Amino acid sequence: MDMIGLYPTWFEPGLGSGWIVGLMATIHVLFSHTSVGAAIFFAALAHYAHRRHRPELLDFIRRYGLFLLVFSYVLGSATGVGIWYTTTVASPRGISALIHTFVWMWATEWVFFVIEVIGVYMLVYLANRLDAQTHLKVSLIFGLASYTTMLVIVGILSFMLWPGKADWYQRGGVLDAFFGANTFAHLGMRTAFMFAMTAVVGGIVAARLEDAALKREVARALAWLGLGSTLAGAALFRWYLATLPETARLLLENRLPGWFTPSVLAVLAGILAYFALTLFRPRALVAGGAAVMTGAVLVFGLWPEEVARESIRKPWVAGGYVYSNQVLGRDVPGIGVRSEIPILEARGFLKAHPFVPERLRVVDDANRMEAGRVLALVACSNCHSLGRTGMRPLPDYIPAGSKAPEIAAYLQAALATGTTLYMPQIPLRDDEALALAGFLAALPGGREAAR
Amino acid sequence: MTPHLLQALRDPAGVPSPPLVFLILGVATFALHIAAVQVMFGASALALRGAYSQSGHWRRLGATMLFTAKVAVSVAIVLGVAPLLFIQVIYDPFWYTSNVLSAWWVVGFIGLLIGGYIALYVFYWTAHRREAPGGRNALWMALSLGLLLAVGFIVHSLTYQMLFPERWMTWYAPGGTVQSGGHALHGWHLWRFSFFLALSIPVTGAWLHAHRRYLRASVRPDEAYLAWLAPLADRLLLAGGVVSVALGALWMGTLPPTMSGFARSPWPLAALLALAAAIALPRLLQGRLDRGYWGYAVFAAAAGALVVVAAAREALRYATLDGAHGYAALDYRVSVDWYSTILFFATFGVLGTATLGYLLTVAWQASQGEGVYTPSPAVNRLGSAAVGLLALWILAYFAVGFWVWAR
Repeated sequence: MDMIGLYPTWFEPGLGSGWIVGLMATIHVLFSHTSVGAAIFFAALAHYAHRRHRPELLDFIRRYGLFLLVFSYVLGSATGVGIWYTTTVASPRGISALIHTFVWMWATEWVFFVIEVIGVYMLVYLANRLDAQTHLKVSLIFGLASYTTMLVIVGILSFMLWPGKADWYQRGGVLDAFFGANTFAHLGMRTAFMFAMTAVVGGIVAARLEDAALKREVARALAWLGLGSTLAGAALFRWYLATLPETARLLLENRLPGWFTPSVLAVLAGILAYFALTLFRPRALVAGGAAVMTGAVLVFGLWPEEVARESIRKPWVAGGYVYSNQVLGRDVPGIGVRSEIPILEARGFLKAHPFVPERLRVVDDANRMEAGRVLALVACSNCHSLGRTGMRPLPDYIPAGSKAPEIAAYLQAALATGTTLYMPQIPLRDDEALALAGFLAALPGGREAAR
Repeated sequence: MTPHLLQALRDPAGVPSPPLVFLILGVATFALHIAAVQVMFGASALALRGAYSQSGHWRRLGATMLFTAKVAVSVAIVLGVAPLLFIQVIYDPFWYTSNVLSAWWVVGFIGLLIGGYIALYVFYWTAHRREAPGGRNALWMALSLGLLLAVGFIVHSLTYQMLFPERWMTWYAPGGTVQSGGHALHGWHLWRFSFFLALSIPVTGAWLHAHRRYLRASVRPDEAYLAWLAPLADRLLLAGGVVSVALGALWMGTLPPTMSGFARSPWPLAALLALAAAIALPRLLQGRLDRGYWGYAVFAAAAGALVVVAAAREALRYATLDGAHGYAALDYRVSVDWYSTILFFATFGVLGTATLGYLLTVAWQASQGEGVYTPSPAVNRLGSAAVGLLALWILAYFAVGFWVWAR
């Protein structure tokens, strides 16, 4: 085939399409993890409350459930769909690779979503109408169904970084794509941190309990849950790091900003201190404080984690075969996928891309700058902004005063050969390299240029 | 876009089951999704009407419909995930291109959805204040309805743009210059959108018949309210049905040239007959509507009609893309994955049926009675089976997972 399956490009100069996906994903993780953790917490608490005849705890479940209806099932479900949509426009072939491999896993997760939504409404609106045994069953169903949604999505998220088993490239099949050491380490880590989030967010509800003794009891239960799960999460995070592929470890060591590790440690310490405080001084638990803590987890915990997860996948965006610029960069015989690099080497982007205007398919003096812009859009803009604002601006990478031929030489030496660890292989024919270099040289000055 | 280019855009990994399976599931789940959407719109409109009424019956109906709308948004979102999934499997070249070309609208509609949902909740939370004399401010409800309508229009447009591959390059690179901002919605068909929106009226009428039947089963049914509700449900069903059919005819009459042959196919006629049957059902049943489960049959018939409408909509898409653009969704390369295929159908058919059967039975019975609800032994056993199946599913996940890991 002489054309490759590249879609049009969406370039967002303000934030960058990747960061829009990241923002949506970060917000969604907070809502969804809290909801799954809370569902399991509800099941355990309902069991305890019924056994000890503690109706006030059931009322806490109902109130927390009501809060979750908006927090997780309004904002969570909308942002969940939002991740799909934003990924669709930012990385259509990345999401396509996931969909075509895991469609039945996602459909299975959907069955549990439906159960979950009905379950939460029943726990909120029918809690006082059900006898103890039925209430327990509904709580259990809600808790188990919620956790299965995490079981499914973690396998898919792990595959985005790397297939569960390396054999998958040869054999194909969902099993080898889905399950592996990283899947289970990832699952363990997320399970632990979801309970930590449940404990933080639960504080917003617990702080509003009027009964002082009940508030103390619930605050302490949440604090223990938070302390235990944060410590377990930290340990499981180390296991997760140990299961990362070699390239991801190298990227983690070399490409993440200097503030990343101190930030993660500070967040962990802050969370532990917060839970210790509410354990020993439950009166210190106030709704505003818990809300601020929730915001802190979102901004200082989840956002860096999502950024790191995106960064260590580089140069891939899915399964170690779809490059972040949407080109299929390696053969995967197990699913019949062939690398598109040879076609690009032979024909170039401008001739092999279905959405390049006809007038740009052959570079000449009249269209060189425009062809360079289109090449930058296609090959670079998924990760790099083409202007001064947004995600990893390209001007920052062009030394001041660089001439087009020098840039072209760099592009053909470092990128066309695929020898830069975190960059995709970007084969550029001579005319394309010069066109792209001409466009890059004309960009407004970057950091280097400003010095 | 030539057939050759459209083929190039397909995912080379193929699909894990025959494409027909995804096509059928796409139709079935779209019908469920659109039913929830239409109940949401209809219930929201009735809630708005009730908020501005002095009539006790209207205010009561408005309050009930407000709760219905709130749940229907959740249900519409969760049910909408399935057709969104299946469309990407066999129509990926079209779905992805259409979305990327209007990327800001794709991102924006999530914000509008959240805004509409939150406005609905704000109205719900503050509803008690409006019970006070003179308190009839329903601006939040109107805002919610407006935002959700905007969401519906955007999704309509994204779906419609799929059908015009011949215009994609004009939209993406007008005059040969690539515009990659994704700022514009490029295509829509107002009659098509209006048809699906208008269907909310008869669907809500059918929903009110079911609601009436549900209330009749309560311990002390309010006969005056039930008597008031019946003609309202009938009016919505009949008048809304006529309006919908008229708009459907306008849609068929204004189809663009690449689709115009479809208007003469059996599909529009099938949809018309199914809608007519649902509209006529209360008249055929008459007194029986209040006996047995017949009151629910009207909504079941409306849901059945929506399945036929959804199938016709799919047939239009299939015929357009195959006929005018040479893309046959059913010839997608198949690379069967038995594990995930069996896992889905077993989960859906066995676990899903048992668990949803249990939850819905309990919800239905518990909310009809008074006092604490205790299910029958049979329902209890179903609940235990549901819990057991869920536990078994999780166990199987780890057993299979560890086996694969250790292999």
